[in-house]
Amino acid sequence: MRERFIIHINVADFAATLERRLDPRLRRRPLLIAPRGTPRAVIYDMSEEAYQSGVRKGMALRKALRRCPGAHVLPPQPHCYEKAVRMLVKQALPYTPLVEVPDSRGHLFLDVTGTGRLFGPPPALAWRIRKRVRAAMGLDPIWSVGPNKLVAKVATRVVKPSGEYIVGAGEERAFLDPVPVHLIPGVEAEEVRRLLELNLTRAGEVARLSEDQLTLLFGRRGRMLHEAVHGIDPSPLFPLSHAPPVVTVTHLFGEDAHTLTALERALFSLVEQAGAALRRKRLAARRMRLSMDYSDGIRISRKIRIVPPSANDFALFPLAAALLKDTWKRRVRIRRLSLTCRRLTYPPPVQQDLFLETAGEKHPKERLIRALDAVRSRFGEAAVRTGRMLAA
Amino acid sequence: MAGCPLFVGTSGYSYTEWVKAGFYPEGTPSGRMLSFYAQKFPVTELNYTWYQMPRPEAVERQRSQVPDDFLFAAKLTRTLTHEVDAHGWKKEAAAYREGIAPLLQTGQLVAVLLQMPPSFARTPDNRKYLAALIDALEGLPLAVEFRHRSWAAARVFSQLSRRRVTLVSVDAPNLPGRFPPMVEVSHPDLFYVRFHGRNARGWRSGKMHLQFDYNYSDAELMECIEKRIAPMAQRARRGVLFFNNHVRAQAPENALRLIRLLKARGLTPA
Repeated sequence: MRERFIIHINVADFAATLERRLDPRLRRRPLLIAPRGTPRAVIYDMSEEAYQSGVRKGMALRKALRRCPGAHVLPPQPHCYEKAVRMLVKQALPYTPLVEVPDSRGHLFLDVTGTGRLFGPPPALAWRIRKRVRAAMGLDPIWSVGPNKLVAKVATRVVKPSGEYIVGAGEERAFLDPVPVHLIPGVEAEEVRRLLELNLTRAGEVARLSEDQLTLLFGRRGRMLHEAVHGIDPSPLFPLSHAPPVVTVTHLFGEDAHTLTALERALFSLVEQAGAALRRKRLAARRMRLSMDYSDGIRISRKIRIVPPSANDFALFPLAAALLKDTWKRRVRIRRLSLTCRRLTYPPPVQQDLFLETAGEKHPKERLIRALDAVRSRFGEAAVRTGRMLAA
Repeated sequence: MAGCPLFVGTSGYSYTEWVKAGFYPEGTPSGRMLSFYAQKFPVTELNYTWYQMPRPEAVERQRSQVPDDFLFAAKLTRTLTHEVDAHGWKKEAAAYREGIAPLLQTGQLVAVLLQMPPSFARTPDNRKYLAALIDALEGLPLAVEFRHRSWAAARVFSQLSRRRVTLVSVDAPNLPGRFPPMVEVSHPDLFYVRFHGRNARGWRSGKMHLQFDYNYSDAELMECIEKRIAPMAQRARRGVLFFNNHVRAQAPENALRLIRLLKARGLTPA
């Protein structure tokens, strides 16, 4: 396979840096970005000084203020950050159309494979983009060049708050081996904790375990972990113009939830919303992902394949319930559930079931869903409910 | 000096275009290019150190890919030449020394290249800065490349000589305002020549694929040997010569050709 060159541009403490650029007086004190006026507010972003005091993203604001008492708190202004991201993209687009914006937090991935003859070696190009960002926006982003997104992302994390890092193909292991395992993208907090219990703190230590050994410890996640610590990441970039369609629905609990009934009810509501959105688009999902945010800021996500692809609430719900079981592992209350349907495809499913009995079972569900959609489109969403949604 | 060993190589070695051109075997990842390169050349000029502050572990990793007698010249980081912060540069200089230390310890660091930008004219402030920079890097083998012609002065050469710093001799398009090609040997331990190519039309285009797209002819290389390399070899203990015309892999081809021509001329390529 042809060697890839991925540039990662990362503006450290994006929101805090932008706020300080708008109001230079904010430079005098540590800065926390968090919604105000809500007792459960969590940190959206913070300045480097606050980070050094132990404040982290997702931490409860109260706890953050205890760690960094003199900090100034500002509410997040997402539209401002999105505008800045658009400016950031503008600086990169002259060099490659393959720009991925994974979030509105000042991160860009650029695939510059094959542009060497035109723009020079990838480090020269990354440096040039940084120079443009500095001139146009007054920001000084960290940049890295790596053979894939995972390595490029770790590289900017390693040098944070400022600097640059170049990792060539073939150097992934040498680069990742000394990196603390919590800096590897995709490794979840629970997994980090489990690895720490086994006295495995660095990626290189985990990489010494075989894929089978990791599967024994982490089940289906073993393979992903094995690839991550070896710096393997074949995932392509999703450029702006080709962002894959997804359906994401979120439920924020008024009061942090801790009972199965409450969780299942919220989950079924999410499945209903996602199913309806899919059916409106006349698409079916092939993957589903459930993210669970605990009240202490920890997030756990799991995904599952949907075979055959579906947009039917009754087919999706058992899978979502399985995901719920997989993500709900901690004795901590839950604040938020987010359900994402991905890899959308056009129904009918590619392959029908072979046996008529099984296929026959689906028809009543299909008819039921069509009937529900018809009633709701005429009389509103609340016109007809399942028993589960009415349960106390 | 008779028998002055001449080390010929290229400015940088990690170019995917060189795979296409056949210099590296098909499928060679950039992380493994150096070991292939070292089979053909005795020296390289690290140019990534201009973009990125060298780190000891990365430098040591590179060193472990080459034979013990392979030499490295390393560009000084941009924060010390092109983007100098008047308050923070000393810290950068210290970081550079630390990063490059593995090569110094093994005696494989032939030079640190201070490539000054074309805008770096000989003003009192710039003179002071250069002197302070040279002092801050004391103990490292230094070579300085000027792009602004105001530095072409006898007093500059004598100062470099006094501080035992090599003046880099540059082969580039003959354009107004540029630093002229010199045969000055300011430090008897080392002379240093860089071949940028002579693409006059592309030189100021700001586009690398035009700037460094050039193929030296035998006649041009022979002229360089007679007018520059041979006289400088007479006055120095060793010399390094790098080709920077990398765009279509002309650099390694031209470097191998120069080695053949040097041998034919009775000089001693390493």
